[in-house]
Amino acid sequence: MKLFFRRYRALSSWLLVGALSCPALAALGGDVTSVEADQAHMKASLDVKQAEGYAVHALRAPGGTVVSEYVSPAGRVFAVAWHGPFFPEMQQILGSYFQQYSAALQARKRVYGHHPLNLEQSGLVVQTGGHMRAYIGRAYIPEMLPAGLKAEEIK
Amino acid sequence: MRKKFLALIVTGGLGFAVGCSSGGATPSGVPGGGSTTSNILSIAVDGGPFASQPGGIYPNGAFASVTICHPGSTTNCVTVDNLLVDTGSVGLRVLQSEVSSLGLPTVNASNGSAAYNCVSFVDGSFLWGPVQSATLTMAGEVASSVPIQVISSSTANIPTSCSNGGVNENTQTSLGANGILGVGLEPFDCGVACDTSSGSATPPSTSPAYYTCSSSGCTPAFASCGSECDDSSSVEQVTNPVVGFPLDNNGVIVELPSISGSAATLTGSLVFGIGTETNNQFSTSASVFTVACDFFNTTYPVGGQAFDIDPSSCTGPGSFIDSGSNAYFFYNVNNALAVCPSTSSAAAFYCPTSLTSLSATVEDPNTQFSETVNFSIDNAQTLFSSGDAAYSTLGGPVPAGDGFDWGLPFFYGRNVYVAIDGQAQPSGLANAPWWAF
Repeated sequence: MKLFFRRYRALSSWLLVGALSCPALAALGGDVTSVEADQAHMKASLDVKQAEGYAVHALRAPGGTVVSEYVSPAGRVFAVAWHGPFFPEMQQILGSYFQQYSAALQARKRVYGHHPLNLEQSGLVVQTGGHMRAYIGRAYIPEMLPAGLKAEEIK
Repeated sequence: MRKKFLALIVTGGLGFAVGCSSGGATPSGVPGGGSTTSNILSIAVDGGPFASQPGGIYPNGAFASVTICHPGSTTNCVTVDNLLVDTGSVGLRVLQSEVSSLGLPTVNASNGSAAYNCVSFVDGSFLWGPVQSATLTMAGEVASSVPIQVISSSTANIPTSCSNGGVNENTQTSLGANGILGVGLEPFDCGVACDTSSGSATPPSTSPAYYTCSSSGCTPAFASCGSECDDSSSVEQVTNPVVGFPLDNNGVIVELPSISGSAATLTGSLVFGIGTETNNQFSTSASVFTVACDFFNTTYPVGGQAFDIDPSSCTGPGSFIDSGSNAYFFYNVNNALAVCPSTSSAAAFYCPTSLTSLSATVEDPNTQFSETVNFSIDNAQTLFSSGDAAYSTLGGPVPAGDGFDWGLPFFYGRNVYVAIDGQAQPSGLANAPWWAF
């Protein structure tokens, strides 16, 4: 019967096991060692995967939203991706780019209705999609993408 | 207001005052297999409240009216029109300005304080406001004491984790509607993830659905989804009004006529119940698509692009049917379709130079049953300049990794069934949730 409900039960029990570690994480454009509080703020568990030319720090928050932060070898966060039933806190994950993102949203010309977003700004791209209680998105600094990493691979 | 409320029932009753046979269907709560209740709410794709103003048309928005009463009263009521019919969300969300005269009672969260609700749309826009209890009448159907979201007129005390940098759509002007009537696949707004029975020590903390507030601000809170979530508390979450009906409570059928290209306006029906009345029997020509985590699969032949959900892990860019999305939204594989200029009000849509015929295959992720769906995409700027409100050929791009969103154009010329999770369905049909068309 309750596939929808069962899913969140499963995620939640996973959380209880993994919610103890407290490594550092930073917002977009920030230094990986500079924001000790972020992961604690999200009350999230963390999983770090190393790829060629970058590392992915995946945070899983209560409720099931996963935020993946892409970190360069120099320790800079150049991209953030998310998926799950709740939006991530944009101020937290966009850091100094938050004001630019918010201003662009407020200024956007559009017809009525809610549509996936493709915000291409100087020095910042934000894309969002999904539907209510099932969101996906990515934000990145185009100039900082490592060679060989395509934007659509940020997920 | 009272007059309007009665008129609704009477007119509805005339259209459906005959008895019904069950036709072999055995959903629960349908003793004798039928009733004399009117179960058909008329819907209109008419451009919404600002249709007559320049640039004011809400494209492909299907709107309906709901009579909202103080619980227990049949006279302290208002009928609110221009509510967007949304199979992609759950529960009624209505502007405070429309219901402020009713003095609706508050609904508490699990910690005993008044609950506040937040929802974000994909574009970062949001709705914020208290959860309140109301009795809702749609056609002849009555759902008593249903938790709804009342969208706050005030912008005070909105937590930043809710506003999140997005646009506050707390007015008719910003929302383009008086509210949203969410009649999707689930009984509750959030389900176990927001209930203490989730087993999580803390409620969802990033952009949460529920909060309670004090003089020092608002903090995330649990809200109960009741016995269906193994919670002994009464339901506190914003609830699909359909499950609150005594009868005809297992789903809805959205019925809209087909159009060629665009139409000035369209009218159709939101039918309550599946297989519970003579007028909502499951059509032999319809096919059921069960879902995984409320998604099904879509394969778009260009580039062999698949928008599939993995039933075992609930990962993948699953696809969905959503009357609250006003176009076909899908990934622009190989950038094959031109997108409208980014500075135009049509920036979210495709603008091909000519009408482009496409097809995709939709698939049940559990049974692998599939069907081909043909559709066409036209130039959104040209469509919008027509002054029409309904467009069968409106499409738009989604980011890579997102699913295939079968929006309102998909509903034109189809009867789309939405079978609600946990509700009994006619015998011979799969357990809900599912879509059928």
